[in-house]
Amino acid sequence: MLELQNVSKHFCGIFAVDDVSFTARPGEVTGYLGPNGSGKSTTLKMITGLIEMTSGRILFDGKSIHDDLIAYKRRMGYVPEEPYLYNHLSGVEYLVMISQLRDLPKRKSSERIDGLLRLLSLYDDRHASISGYSKGMRQKLLISAALLHNPDLILLDEPFSGLDVGSALMLRNLIKELAARGKVVLFSSHELDTVERISNRVVILHRAKVVADDSIERLRSMMDLPTLEEIFSQLAVEQDFAATARQIAELIHA
Amino acid sequence: MRKLILLLPLQFRVLYRQFLLRVIDLEALSIEADIPRFIGQFAGVLIFISVVSALKALSLPDAPPEVLRGVCWTAEQQHISGIMLIVGLFAVVSWDATFPDKRDAMVLSPLPISPHIILLAKLAASSTIIGVAILSLNFAAGLAWPILVAKACAGDPLRAMAAYWFTMTAASAFLYCTVLTVQGMTALLLPRGLFLRLSALLQLVAFGLFLVVYFLQPTIDNQAAMTTASSHHLLVCLPSFWFFALFNQLNGSLPTSLGSLATEAWIGLALAISGAGASLLLCYLRTMRKTIEEPDLVPAARGLHWAPRIGSALQTAVLFFTIRSLVRSKQHRVIFAFFLAGVFGTALFSVQDAWWSGHRLPLSMDFLASSYLMMVLAVVGLRSVFALPITLHANWVLRTTQLRSTRQYVAATRHTLLLLATLPVWLLTAALSFSFSPWREVMVHLAVVALWGFILTEVSLFGFYKLPFTCSVLPGKINIQFIFWGFFIFAVIFAYMSANFEIHTLHNPSRSGLLLAILAAAAVCLWILNLHRARSAVLYFEEVTPQTITTLGITSFS
Repeated sequence: MLELQNVSKHFCGIFAVDDVSFTARPGEVTGYLGPNGSGKSTTLKMITGLIEMTSGRILFDGKSIHDDLIAYKRRMGYVPEEPYLYNHLSGVEYLVMISQLRDLPKRKSSERIDGLLRLLSLYDDRHASISGYSKGMRQKLLISAALLHNPDLILLDEPFSGLDVGSALMLRNLIKELAARGKVVLFSSHELDTVERISNRVVILHRAKVVADDSIERLRSMMDLPTLEEIFSQLAVEQDFAATARQIAELIHA
Repeated sequence: MRKLILLLPLQFRVLYRQFLLRVIDLEALSIEADIPRFIGQFAGVLIFISVVSALKALSLPDAPPEVLRGVCWTAEQQHISGIMLIVGLFAVVSWDATFPDKRDAMVLSPLPISPHIILLAKLAASSTIIGVAILSLNFAAGLAWPILVAKACAGDPLRAMAAYWFTMTAASAFLYCTVLTVQGMTALLLPRGLFLRLSALLQLVAFGLFLVVYFLQPTIDNQAAMTTASSHHLLVCLPSFWFFALFNQLNGSLPTSLGSLATEAWIGLALAISGAGASLLLCYLRTMRKTIEEPDLVPAARGLHWAPRIGSALQTAVLFFTIRSLVRSKQHRVIFAFFLAGVFGTALFSVQDAWWSGHRLPLSMDFLASSYLMMVLAVVGLRSVFALPITLHANWVLRTTQLRSTRQYVAATRHTLLLLATLPVWLLTAALSFSFSPWREVMVHLAVVALWGFILTEVSLFGFYKLPFTCSVLPGKINIQFIFWGFFIFAVIFAYMSANFEIHTLHNPSRSGLLLAILAAAAVCLWILNLHRARSAVLYFEEVTPQTITTLGITSFS
């Protein structure tokens, strides 16, 4: 189980994440939602240990992740928001490097790499340079790298970004399947429809603070709103989109 | 001047300024590097060489005419090969910069800019750098030597000066245009994917070729030697001698027997300029569009993935990551090739006497010092390239997979340095040792070189608690003048002092044994020290700017 207790992060006095607390349980998919700049990616980076918290505690299976960061990293898989990869490597070279860095047995990792590349339709281009990969292919490569070591905690930051319809459908099912096998899955996304379909519970972030943390059914009944999109709009959206669109059109027309 | 510049089209001026900053791939050093200052530093090094050469010319006016003529012939050949080497190295460093790349095609094609403006701006940028190189390398030598040449052959100093500057410009243009022609023809004739691969190989071949020719070509200081049959065949193949003949033709001092060489220079120059012009025009008209049309992803179902385990999993990962980065990243490849070129140049210098003599010679000071310098160049070169980042944004993966102690990461970097720098140089030294005798002394020297390589590797790991190519570079941290003078003043002097000490030690077995024992002890101490320091170190991915207090200088008006 992943627990965040009063986690905060500020950059030069500005709170990127402010006193965030929530729990992601094994066997459940937890959706992490919020508008741009609300602090989702910062939270995920703190959970991965990439950035330090200003205050608070992050626990995994009851232990602070910072007590033994190396042991924690062995159990964690992460797909970042931006598909940054070493572009001069080929897909297969990248995955082999990850397996070596994770010290996975050679035969087992070769089988997994082969299988993941085939199942994610990257096998034919495995020897091509990553610099030539499309955004969707990069995303698939990141997903492969995150799952290569069979992690217990899976952190996905905008995992559907750049994926085609078929791949996105496959990923939805994969996330549910992984959760069903007892993994802790925390993922952030802007695709509310997808979140609504696969998440057991959602955490909504607005202006760096948690404004909702519950199952979607309970939120629907509590707020008396039919869809997650409407719940999200009510809790985390302040802008009048129609008015802004009109202003932009007028600006370039003038 | 400013008014003249303003007469040029605005598009040309904007593009020229951009291309001037990109003509050398300085992104590798630092995106925020002060590029004009960087070029100024290079010019400073060349100016110093020019001043030293001019001082040599000034010290000779009282020499007898026969001696003076021989010295002038040697100097002319050296200056021409020198400028050709500098321009050749520039051509290698700015490889592909004159041709349209994908970035230009994607950014500039949608804009209303005609291809000839882009081509002219790129050519102007390259010409500016070559012009700076010619001026810097000859600014003092180009005044002193022509006067001396005119005195040696009783000619007109002004004519000698005009001939000198024209020859230098022509030799530079010939070399640069030849490289452009080869690149252009390759780009035009080959599919783009194959061209990109071959281009990288051609770049390294050109690098090696320029250095091998520079270090191995003979200097001929009299007419008799130049007109012998064996020399003539050599001279016909070496462009620097064509331009040597061209200079003497323009100066009116060309022996009639060398007239054909001057003709070769004219023909070569005309062919190179027309070849470069034609291939550049065709490239801009044809390949710029082709670059956009090429698919981003070339299917590569066939491919070789051979990754034997060399050391632990981490050591293998770091080793292969390093090899792939060096081979595939242009910036890293070129900078490392610069150091490797130094290694090969030093190697060729150290054995040329033995090769020309055709039999094994006793171990010389030059060979001993060269083997130290080769090791310094290889280890320092690789360590310097390690400090240049490749894709900082992708470092998150190394941080999330950091499952071992810093000590193991340092060990992986040491393993890579030993395998890619120390071992190849040691093997090269061992191969070169076949030209020397006696065997016992050669074996002792090889043991000394191996220990010296290990010591250098350990020294280069001091404070290096990061993985190769994964750390940011602080702008302005790299100082070319410092590297250049540091190497020449410290390394060369140290290498010769050590060689002098070693050559006396080699004759005595007990002293040789003591030397090896001292070096081995130093190597072990350094290894233990690094091991100890790495235990408490933290692996880092960001260079931290030292904190400084900046005063605004605001004072009270009271």
